[in-house]
Amino acid sequence: MSERITPTMLTSSTLNGLNASLAALERTSDELSSGKKILEPSDNPYGTSRAIDLQSQLDGLSSYASNVQEGISWENTSSSAMANMSNVLESVRELLVRAPNGTYNAGDLGHMAAEVEQLTEAVKQDANTQYAGQYVFAGTMTTTAPYPQGAEDAYQGNTGTIARAIGPGLSVTVNTDMSALLGNGQGAADGKLFDTLRTISEHLKGATPADVAALGSSDLTSLEGSIEALTQMQATAGSVTDQLQTAASRIEGLQGTITAGLSNIEDTNVAEVSIAYSTEQAAYEAALRAGASIVQESLLQFLN
Amino acid sequence: MSIPTLQGLQTALSGLLAEQQALDVTGNNIANSDTEGYSRETVLLRPSLPLNIPAISSRTGEGAQLGTGVSVETINRIRNSYLDAQYRTQSSALSGASTESEELTQAQAAFNEPSSSAIASQLSKFWGAWSELANAPASEAAKQGVVGAGQQLAEMLHEVSAQLSTISTQAGEQYAALAGPSGEVQDDASQIAQLNGQIRLAEEAGEPPNEMLDQRDLLLDKLSSLAQVTVVKQPDGTDTVSFGDAAKPLVEGTTLNWPQALTPAAGGRLGTLLGLTAPGGALASYQAALDNVADTLASSVNALHTATPFFSGTTAATLQVAVTAAQVQTSSTEGVGGNDVAIAIAGLRGGAAEQGYAALVEQVGGNVRGARDEQSNLQSTVTAIGNQRQSVSGVSLDEEMTNLISFQRGYQASARTLTAMDSMLETLIEHTGIAGL
Repeated sequence: MSERITPTMLTSSTLNGLNASLAALERTSDELSSGKKILEPSDNPYGTSRAIDLQSQLDGLSSYASNVQEGISWENTSSSAMANMSNVLESVRELLVRAPNGTYNAGDLGHMAAEVEQLTEAVKQDANTQYAGQYVFAGTMTTTAPYPQGAEDAYQGNTGTIARAIGPGLSVTVNTDMSALLGNGQGAADGKLFDTLRTISEHLKGATPADVAALGSSDLTSLEGSIEALTQMQATAGSVTDQLQTAASRIEGLQGTITAGLSNIEDTNVAEVSIAYSTEQAAYEAALRAGASIVQESLLQFLN
Repeated sequence: MSIPTLQGLQTALSGLLAEQQALDVTGNNIANSDTEGYSRETVLLRPSLPLNIPAISSRTGEGAQLGTGVSVETINRIRNSYLDAQYRTQSSALSGASTESEELTQAQAAFNEPSSSAIASQLSKFWGAWSELANAPASEAAKQGVVGAGQQLAEMLHEVSAQLSTISTQAGEQYAALAGPSGEVQDDASQIAQLNGQIRLAEEAGEPPNEMLDQRDLLLDKLSSLAQVTVVKQPDGTDTVSFGDAAKPLVEGTTLNWPQALTPAAGGRLGTLLGLTAPGGALASYQAALDNVADTLASSVNALHTATPFFSGTTAATLQVAVTAAQVQTSSTEGVGGNDVAIAIAGLRGGAAEQGYAALVEQVGGNVRGARDEQSNLQSTVTAIGNQRQSVSGVSLDEEMTNLISFQRGYQASARTLTAMDSMLETLIEHTGIAGL
């Protein structure tokens, strides 16, 4: 005997079919309206964990990108301060070259001394350059002016370094230790720039033949040493800027790659899903139509 | 020897009565065509005992037997107990899988991933806050940002942890309600015990208790969704019911043994609830993994934030930011502009805490998916066996309508026979015996 089919079986299988079609339709419509194919972790467990990882990497990259921009601005600020200093030192050097040539009297040299003192203040001003409220040449004591204006030349900062993270486990030092160039002034007799400048000023004021001779020899040598050191620092700062700019374009590239990877994992392929949606809609309609006519059929209709 | 004169009337009457009863049974089938658990019934008709008529043959003098009509032997209940057993086994498994998928889906919803406001994204914001602080180490606002992001992260961990606990507690309560003193198990089992008694009496009286058997089978179906059910049919008509992995039978004759202890091996809804809430169960393992994430986070941040611990607490429920904005450490050396600590903490992004969390989400998602797949497989199996049962026991209206016509015609024909007999007797009584009057 063949299998008996009862109306209950027909209605329940029709209902199951309708439910399944409708569930598929709902799912597809959710994917379309949210634009995401992972609506909950069970949709793609590995994909979800991968998406969490990639999203964090992406957030990390935007942190790195803003660190890099911060770093570049910091470097630009210090570089322009160092360029100013370089100009100032060049002026002092010219003075030193001119002063000993015997054509200036004590009064002229006194004027030159005043000029040197003004230039010293200018160097201090540059040494106290701030970026976003932070003194860039004070080591990590960024809220303390490293060289307050005035006669006191001792360094107020420290030799701490300030870095910017530009990648996982990768950071560059952005601050320059200006105290290595400027030193602690005449009191410390460290032969650094402020010591040199104060000595030059003294020699100009003193104006004895020995002083004048020193201007052209030991003072000039010290100053040129400082100019050389400053050039070195500028070169270092320039290479840090280059490194940061390279990092910026590397980060941009990575952002593109990871965004694409993330989109691949979690974004709906609209074209594909739209087609699936139409197919499922058609299937659902067909199921409804078939159900509506099958469920009504019975021998009863044909008996009088 | 001749045939009793009124025998024809009796024969026709038996036909009328049998057809009427068959019509009644058909009517009952139609009336119950949508009743849950109803098994269709058929009337078993048998010829009545024949009359022995000796020496009826005038030629040989041999006797013969004359049929005397029809009688109803019994009303059969069409049911296949093998299919019942199969159905119950699969229905237990299905109900277990559905329960697991429901509970795990709730756990999955507690994590609320993927979303821009869940733990993963908050963790990412926390690292981002440290990175911003590294760019402005002296900024109070940036320090406040780090503390705020840490607090939000801790709150989210608290929330998810609390939701997991709630799900576990509710699963335990569900078990207690179902298996408790006035729960479904007690209820169904006591009805089965009662029906066992009534069925035994009816069987002794020789009356097939079809409706009570249907009721008992329906109750057994219901029980099977709670745990594995094994039924042993006893000769006296009672069912001995073993339930899950309980030590004693749940119902034996009219005796009810409940409550009894079950384990996760009981199967069905109850077994799954026990398994999920067990110490090593899925919910506990999620909770432990989340605690581990919180602990890893706290210890890795604290190891770098050496001045004073940034986080206190070692579980997801107890993690707290232990510092004020002023206490946030940005550097291992003096100087407000130092940022080595901030950079190092921001560099924890993608580390053990995050990986542990991503693995946990993957595990939860994988478990939900597995439970759903199992559920849908078992659903197909149960539907198939249910259809087989329906095919055997279900009422087919087409069939009943056909039977209806056949029995109706039979009834009409028996009535016609009665009329014929009557007119024959009329001839005999009215038109004979007046000869010669």
